[in-house]
Amino acid sequence: MTRNKTFIVAKNEFLKRVKTRWFVFTTLLGPIVLVAFFAVIGIVSASAIEGGESTILVLDETGRMASELSDPEGKLSFVATDASEDNLRERVLAGEADGYLVLPAGLIDGDAGARYYSTEGGGVSSFNFDLRNIIRGTVRTLRLQDQQVAPEVYDIINAGVGLETIKLSDEGEEQGSSAAYAVVGGIMGFLIYITMLIYGSGVMQGVIQEKMNRVVEIIVSSVKPFQLLMGKVLGIGAMGLVQMSFWAILIAGGTMGSGFIISLFVDTAKLNLPDTATQAEVLDAVGFQIPDLGPEVFVFFVIYFLLGYLLYATLFAGIGSAVEQQQDAQSLMIPVMMPIIVSIVFLQAVIEAPNSTLSVALSLIPFTAPIPMVVRVAMIDVPIWQLALSLTLLAGTFVGAVWVSSRIYRVGILSYGKKPSLKEIIKWMRYA
Amino acid sequence: MHELQVQGVTKQYEKVLAVNNVSFEAEPGRILGLLGPNGAGKTTTIRMITYITIPDSGQILFGDARVGQKSQEVMGYLPEERGLYAKMKVGEQLMYFAELKGMSKAAAREKIKYWLDRMGALDWVQKETNELSKGMQQKIQFIATILHDPKLLILDEPFGGLDPINADLLQDVILELKDAGRTIVFASHRMEQVEQLCDDICLISRGEIVVNGALSEVKKRYGKNVVMIDFEGSDAFLDPLESSGAVRINVRSTRHAEIRLLNGTPSKQVLKAALEHVSDITRFELVEPPMREIFVTAVTEQQGKQALDAAQPAGGAQ
Repeated sequence: MTRNKTFIVAKNEFLKRVKTRWFVFTTLLGPIVLVAFFAVIGIVSASAIEGGESTILVLDETGRMASELSDPEGKLSFVATDASEDNLRERVLAGEADGYLVLPAGLIDGDAGARYYSTEGGGVSSFNFDLRNIIRGTVRTLRLQDQQVAPEVYDIINAGVGLETIKLSDEGEEQGSSAAYAVVGGIMGFLIYITMLIYGSGVMQGVIQEKMNRVVEIIVSSVKPFQLLMGKVLGIGAMGLVQMSFWAILIAGGTMGSGFIISLFVDTAKLNLPDTATQAEVLDAVGFQIPDLGPEVFVFFVIYFLLGYLLYATLFAGIGSAVEQQQDAQSLMIPVMMPIIVSIVFLQAVIEAPNSTLSVALSLIPFTAPIPMVVRVAMIDVPIWQLALSLTLLAGTFVGAVWVSSRIYRVGILSYGKKPSLKEIIKWMRYA
Repeated sequence: MHELQVQGVTKQYEKVLAVNNVSFEAEPGRILGLLGPNGAGKTTTIRMITYITIPDSGQILFGDARVGQKSQEVMGYLPEERGLYAKMKVGEQLMYFAELKGMSKAAAREKIKYWLDRMGALDWVQKETNELSKGMQQKIQFIATILHDPKLLILDEPFGGLDPINADLLQDVILELKDAGRTIVFASHRMEQVEQLCDDICLISRGEIVVNGALSEVKKRYGKNVVMIDFEGSDAFLDPLESSGAVRINVRSTRHAEIRLLNGTPSKQVLKAALEHVSDITRFELVEPPMREIFVTAVTEQQGKQALDAAQPAGGAQ
């Protein structure tokens, strides 16, 4: 019977929320944002690969460089000119060329810097990066020539230095961009952060509303406050689970589909591939590696979301029961919010060094665990003992939070009037 | 056979003794008026009966067992502070409350239809609460209270905010439930309603019972000490009577007065004074005190006594 009433409350909370426009909207909008995200990744990587061809007018005051400038990838073409700068500016503005480059006489001796004028300004795009490399390479070559260095030496100096990133795991070396794992981990961590806050404060709002419109007195004349609390938390959690599972499937699908999306933006002809090239061949030529995430990543994502949500929603419900208005809840929320904020502040640090002491510690402390642990699970093989310990601590803390919150809740929902201090709330817990 | 028994119940909040050793009973087929000034401990008492809070000492029995989750299922409680979910539809809301009381969906659906129809509210099933007027919400809330046909009904100011037509409708239902053998506890500040509806009364002041018993007996206990007089002419005769301390005038209007006789003043004295001044007397009656009079007298007496008790040992322990 006890479980039954909790279930009735949970069912009501679940249905009430699932039927709202807000739920449908966010559930469907979430994926659109995700798809857009993957599409952007696809477009960016594809355009970085292909690029457009750019024509650059070169005003060469050194008299030696224009003939030497060339782009090994053939994306940039340099056209020497002796027109005035005013003339060049007009031609660029008129769209005849993408930009013009001024190479001052002192450039080779290091007395002056090159200037590039375009309608797009500066930035850190790969175009600027390529252009700088070409100019630097040419200047170096000329400097070496001036010093009569043997051509073999500057071949050695100019030889490319590659850096390949390879992920180590128990199954052996996996070739692939660990950046992709970091992106997926980061998205998951961030989703947990947002949903924990949104659903958690949803529970709190529900509690405050029930108290404010006095329905709570009717409900607790039929149901134990504990059942009401748990029903609420579980009902809203079920809603969250539906939403998150839906999204988890989409992330999984999106990860697999990202290759397909990228291949849509790549022109096979430019990669010297036949039109009949398979998707795998295209991606291989492009050098893109699909992050190979096992199902356990998504399972842990859902488990940590669920436990994290349960822990915080229970605490938020306790806070909600103590106050009468949303505004009054703010100051009481701060101590509860701190760990969540800490874990999101360190998100970057965890992504950069998923095995550091900091990352391990954060993913074991129950209040901060959900976000960093999900990031780590997505990026590396987390030792089983860490997962087991982290989950045990988190579940134990949840049980403790239920005990604390239900005692506050029991007294809080029927207390009206002055906003209680933290001290008074602690006193409530000791009531029989 | 007492269906509801409150036995020596005490409840303390922080430093406030909300309810102090209170005992009373309510019987099936009768309406018990639970009365008392604001802050007397009525709500606390009701919350203990409904098992929302638990007494520090004493016990509350319904039927033969202590109140608890079981008794909650056969209990309907209409709190003074009304509340419904603002964004839920009337039908869904009633269904939720019914399910929480352990009703099956099919039974609940039938009852919801019956009561909405009876209350002239069948058109509202699909409406959200915030589209309804206060009075409509009130009716919906009342339906939620009686939907599961509770054996014990606790109604706190059930008529608040209702127009006379709807108040009559509600009163008919309450009396019908009483005749059907339900135990009803009725809390109100409206003494004329208490007088009209209640068979028994229990008056609480500052956490203690001051008057308890069948309404007719309580009235008898106070004796016939109120004069109702209707007259033509000047009402100036009332002033010397009052200033001499022989009477207290409860109601005074142009042609009517309700006079409480004090300190054994004979009614004859009032009649004599009136005859000397007014041009005609159309009614002169010695009656039992109305409920309102009993309420005021009992509460002022008790609070005066308490104030005295508190003042006396002032020299001793604080």
